[in-house]
Amino acid sequence: MSLQKILLKHEPKPENLLKVLKEIQKENKYIGKKECEKVAEYFSLPLARVFSFASFFDEVETRKGGKKIIKVCSGGPCLMEDSREVVRQIELHLRIEAGNDAHPKYKLEFISCRGLCDQGPVVMVDDQVFERVRPEDVDDIIRNYL
Amino acid sequence: MKIISKNWNKMDPLKIDSYVKNGGYEALRKVIREMKREDVIAEIKLSGLRGRGGAGFPTGEKWELAAKTKSPENFFICNLDESEPGVYKDRTIAKKNPHQIIEGLLIGAYAIGAKHAYIYINGHYQKPAEILEIALNQAREKEFVGGGIMGSPVDVEIQIFQGAGAYICGEETALIDTIEGKRGEPRLKPPYPPVSGLFGKPTAVNNAETLANVPYIIRRGAKVFSQIGSSVSPGTKLFVLEGAVKNRGIFEAPTGTTIQELVFNSIYGGGVEKGKDLWFVQIGGASGRLVSPAKMDQPLVYGAGDCPLGCGSVLVVDKSADPKDLLFAWADFFHRESCGKCVPCREGTFRLWEIAKRLKNNDLQKIDRENIEEILWTLSNTSFCPLGSFASVAWTDAIKMFEKEIFR
Repeated sequence: MSLQKILLKHEPKPENLLKVLKEIQKENKYIGKKECEKVAEYFSLPLARVFSFASFFDEVETRKGGKKIIKVCSGGPCLMEDSREVVRQIELHLRIEAGNDAHPKYKLEFISCRGLCDQGPVVMVDDQVFERVRPEDVDDIIRNYL
Repeated sequence: MKIISKNWNKMDPLKIDSYVKNGGYEALRKVIREMKREDVIAEIKLSGLRGRGGAGFPTGEKWELAAKTKSPENFFICNLDESEPGVYKDRTIAKKNPHQIIEGLLIGAYAIGAKHAYIYINGHYQKPAEILEIALNQAREKEFVGGGIMGSPVDVEIQIFQGAGAYICGEETALIDTIEGKRGEPRLKPPYPPVSGLFGKPTAVNNAETLANVPYIIRRGAKVFSQIGSSVSPGTKLFVLEGAVKNRGIFEAPTGTTIQELVFNSIYGGGVEKGKDLWFVQIGGASGRLVSPAKMDQPLVYGAGDCPLGCGSVLVVDKSADPKDLLFAWADFFHRESCGKCVPCREGTFRLWEIAKRLKNNDLQKIDRENIEEILWTLSNTSFCPLGSFASVAWTDAIKMFEKEIFR
């Protein structure tokens, strides 16, 4: 769906702003300057306001990606299920360091709780969620999903 | 004693009939047919119900304030943002029995005279949001939601608003700002939302679990409810047990249950996992206090005691856990989730995170130790909203309790 079509589906009311941004992201993968400008015009808001809003949220990407992002929950319950060892395994396998953006293809980061504490440790590759990940599962995830 | 999780196993969340059969929407009918708005508020006040999101503010008082503020329009919001690490009680209510939340929300909206209500749901909760949407549509078909509820002149329209992943949006004014299309940064209080909330109109914001209690109170009467659990904050609470405990998951217990009982009683936690040695318990997620085994006999209530009940999570930590990892996890979480509005929290959580990294890598410098204390003091005393002080709670307790292990 084109950007224009997504915009026209919703009334330009402030409570629709987040919904519109999320729908555009679904199509476009990220929300760049061009998209922000269009949205700002449609909602009659300053560009800065739309961009600052978009950049506020974890789930809205404002930069073009390309890297595979592996996310591991850093919450207490996941930690108690040995998420630390899972992180160590990913670091070893891919030769990257959590939080470091240097690798051209992969990035490993910690995320906040996803409310899946009973299924921990939780690992995500982009939008795919893996539950109850054991350190020995890391190899399989990397081989099949990266 | 179960109020919220009572019919979870009997109920089909995708069918409204299974809720109606178990007495669902009776409370709504009673309210609309027999009770005046003031009566509903008086009943909730009498019941002593307090907010289950963490702060424990008396629900009836909040409604009364929102109803009394003169305005052509007001709003009701159900807070289902739930992003405290270690809690998934609201998600579970939404998945197991969504109508309970919707009915509570409708009663609340009627009581304060709101025609528009929102359910603000965590952006990560895709499945529960879908279930709620289905439930809403079914309720609309049965004329429980929308224009002219059950043939009366009462209109309440409910809309689901999905967030996009931000811990701070569980704070009510930040949540309101997000709906208004602004960054989720907390507002200066007062004015409190019941006076000036969404779009500047009086707004009541209640946690989903709080609202799920409302139908029971209306059906059985405030007196019955007020006799359950502790007299300070009556009712039951959903507790989430996790970590090194035998039975993990959600357990409903009367308020005032002691930590000891939750962890060791066989109907709840059933004791510490075999072969593990209890070290301490953290109550209420990453922002919660740490409790040593010697102090576990304190009852968990809202509005009293030195260990706040918070959102109800109980993380049991055994001696195999590394305190440095935990300290890093807490610091990392708050540094990531700080909204950046005020300097103490934005800079404080960042510096604390840097120190936590050095601590984890056994690279701690001499000056760090003094700095930790200064940062923790600044966070808890000068932050704009509670997030800043939350960031210091667990650290402060940890340093008090096992200074030796940390700075070894």
